[in-house]
Amino acid sequence: MRRYMADHAIPAGRLRRKPPANEFPDMPHSASEKAGQSLTGWRFNLLAILFLLAGAMIIIQLVRLQFSPERSEFVSLGDQYSRTLHIFYPPRGDIYDRWGRLLAGSTLVYEVGTQVDNVENPDTIAFALSKVLSGHPEYDYAGYSNDIFSVIHRAEISGTAYVQLADFVTPEELSQLQDWAQNYANLPNVDYGESGRPSLDGLVYRPRLQRYYPENELAANVMGFVNREGKGMFGVEAEFNDLLAGAPQSVWMSLDPYQVSEIPQLKAGADLVLTIDREIQAAAEDVLNKALDDSGADGGVISVMDPNTGEMLAIASTPRLNPNEFWNYANVFKDSTPFNRAVSQDYEPGSVFKVLTMAAALDDGAVTPDTEFVDTGSIQIGGITIHNWDWGAWGPQNMQGCLAHSLNVCLTWVATELGAGQFYKYMQNFGFGRTTGIDLAGEAPGRLKLPGDTDWFEAELGTNSFGQGIAVTPIQMVMAISSVANGKGEMMMPHVMRSMVRDGFQYTPTPQVIGKPISEETAHTLTELLARSLEGESSDALIDGYRVAGKTGTAEIATPTGYSTSETNASFVGWGPVNDPRFLVYVWLEKPQSSPWGSIVAAPVFRDMVERLVVLMDIPPDDVSQSLGDE
Amino acid sequence: MENIQKLTHAYEQAPWRKQMYMIGVILLILVSAAIVAGIYLNVTARAAAIGRQIQEMQVRVYGYHYLTNDASDVIVPIEELEQRIANLTSQLAILTSYQTMQDRVKDLNLQPIDADHIEYMKVPGYYDRQTTSLAPPPEPVVVNASAIDPQFKESLFEWVVEQAQKTARFISEARP
Repeated sequence: MRRYMADHAIPAGRLRRKPPANEFPDMPHSASEKAGQSLTGWRFNLLAILFLLAGAMIIIQLVRLQFSPERSEFVSLGDQYSRTLHIFYPPRGDIYDRWGRLLAGSTLVYEVGTQVDNVENPDTIAFALSKVLSGHPEYDYAGYSNDIFSVIHRAEISGTAYVQLADFVTPEELSQLQDWAQNYANLPNVDYGESGRPSLDGLVYRPRLQRYYPENELAANVMGFVNREGKGMFGVEAEFNDLLAGAPQSVWMSLDPYQVSEIPQLKAGADLVLTIDREIQAAAEDVLNKALDDSGADGGVISVMDPNTGEMLAIASTPRLNPNEFWNYANVFKDSTPFNRAVSQDYEPGSVFKVLTMAAALDDGAVTPDTEFVDTGSIQIGGITIHNWDWGAWGPQNMQGCLAHSLNVCLTWVATELGAGQFYKYMQNFGFGRTTGIDLAGEAPGRLKLPGDTDWFEAELGTNSFGQGIAVTPIQMVMAISSVANGKGEMMMPHVMRSMVRDGFQYTPTPQVIGKPISEETAHTLTELLARSLEGESSDALIDGYRVAGKTGTAEIATPTGYSTSETNASFVGWGPVNDPRFLVYVWLEKPQSSPWGSIVAAPVFRDMVERLVVLMDIPPDDVSQSLGDE
Repeated sequence: MENIQKLTHAYEQAPWRKQMYMIGVILLILVSAAIVAGIYLNVTARAAAIGRQIQEMQVRVYGYHYLTNDASDVIVPIEELEQRIANLTSQLAILTSYQTMQDRVKDLNLQPIDADHIEYMKVPGYYDRQTTSLAPPPEPVVVNASAIDPQFKESLFEWVVEQAQKTARFISEARP
């Protein structure tokens, strides 16, 4: 029974166990069983040793690589392909006029390049691009096709993944390229010989934004432009470049899908609302163009300011560049012509400066409107003799007469009555000799020679009093005269940025008062004097229904051999309505040909401008304002 | 000694049982490891797939389009939409630009009005034209409210504590 069980019921495992000595008798295993057990053990052992060795070798290799000299090379190679640098450029902020009309925005353009591995036929790509982009100024040259071909060829050799072939491609040009690509793709599969099957495969594009000026040349001198590198040049674009451009962000983006990094939330550039009124700007440019045609002047400026706030409503200057075609800059601005004469070109203003000499003298009390001066036609100062514009003697004159007839002799006498110390103190208070701080790039400081300067002589006091021997910019004149024009004696800082829109909020800075060089009473008195002067002279600057104050100016132009009598700077500054000043207009024509006199060429320009201005600004005639006010 | 040996032998597990036990333990470890590895592989594979999708979308946002067979227009990324909006804004500005409006004025045979042809009248309550305001209304204060329910964020310890507190409250309320 036991034998039976041992043979048939006991599991095989039990057979290998040695039975207890007394209970079970020794039962010797067969020879084949022993041989089988030893063979199995040997194989298992061998397998285990092999696995052990393989594992050990892997571990040894891992350790060796970790400490091998090639490790750093492998790591850097891995890093090179593990991430890519992306530079994210936020969209540039828009620029609007004061009523929200877009002056500078953005438009779609495309960067075109090749993914070199996918290029099938570089010849076709070179041919297509050279034909489609032939109207593109940057790619319109004979060797462009060869250049493209060689660029692709070099990229293929060097193993470069992507090469850029063209930028700033317009949507129309891209559409043509897409048509070409489609046509090539539809070609039949036949043998095309050595040239291979024509194909634009591998040609890729990427959309991006480019600055665009929908008004083209309108207000171009104020706006400036953005160059190919995205940098603002001149005007508002340069002055507020950092604000408009926003902050580009460079991000290393991992290619490891476990380490996907978030695309940064870009802070878009701020939008700007300018003080410029598009309609007034257009009118100013229109009037200026007409004035240049009529007078044959080399160039000119018309500036329109709200004297109560310093807001520039229009700044027209010549020449003008279409900022959408800024590459024509060198053709438009020749011989160091400034981009915006109103802020960047200083000149001797001439008799318009008498407004400020008289303002200083009246404010100081050196003269009163009724002070009499007997004009003998000349006056000696600092060793030179000063004459009137007509070389005539005008006899007894009060201050209104001096201004009305623009008498150099009288104003020289007024300056001497005031004294050099006071005169230059007032001129400095009016802001001459330094920049106004207008928010336009490239402002020139002008030059005000002061007593004590090596190149200042006593005669300067006389010449400066009627605007010769002093260099000012039109915007300096506008700022200085704003203190008279607003009737408060407060000199307003000229500015073109009305408000800034950023992070969902619109910030509107308050108008800045630069100083109060004269009293309110002086401002009123002088305005009245100048208004009567214009009326007394029946000036061409007078406008029906509106009472304005102003002053003409004719300045001889300094040359290396002395002052030229044939070439002048003709100007006019005026403001109105006298009872409630709303505008200050400054006109400057450089070297007019039809007449050298400001009263003849510049005063009518002021009138033309104001006639359009009162309509655009909804300013009723004085009698209407009076009657409406009385109701 | 012999008795001890006998006793030990009497209570000793059968060798085949020991082997089965060892095999079972090893298999349990292997199966557990396989399950954990499977779950890990599943999660990481899905994470990788999602990551790759995100990367593809990022490449599309800042990547390149082919001239032909480009399906990227089906899904337009926000950045490209913003670019298109900016472009359309400029196109609109062209249509309403000063020169275009002047051309339309000429086409309609309109004349600019002179100052002496304008009639002014007093309109009570009339406010002068105001300069533009481009900024949207101030944004509402954003409350830091998470979209994930707190139950999904609490730890086991927090859950146990909360359950204990609940039970304690229940018992205290149930007590007369």
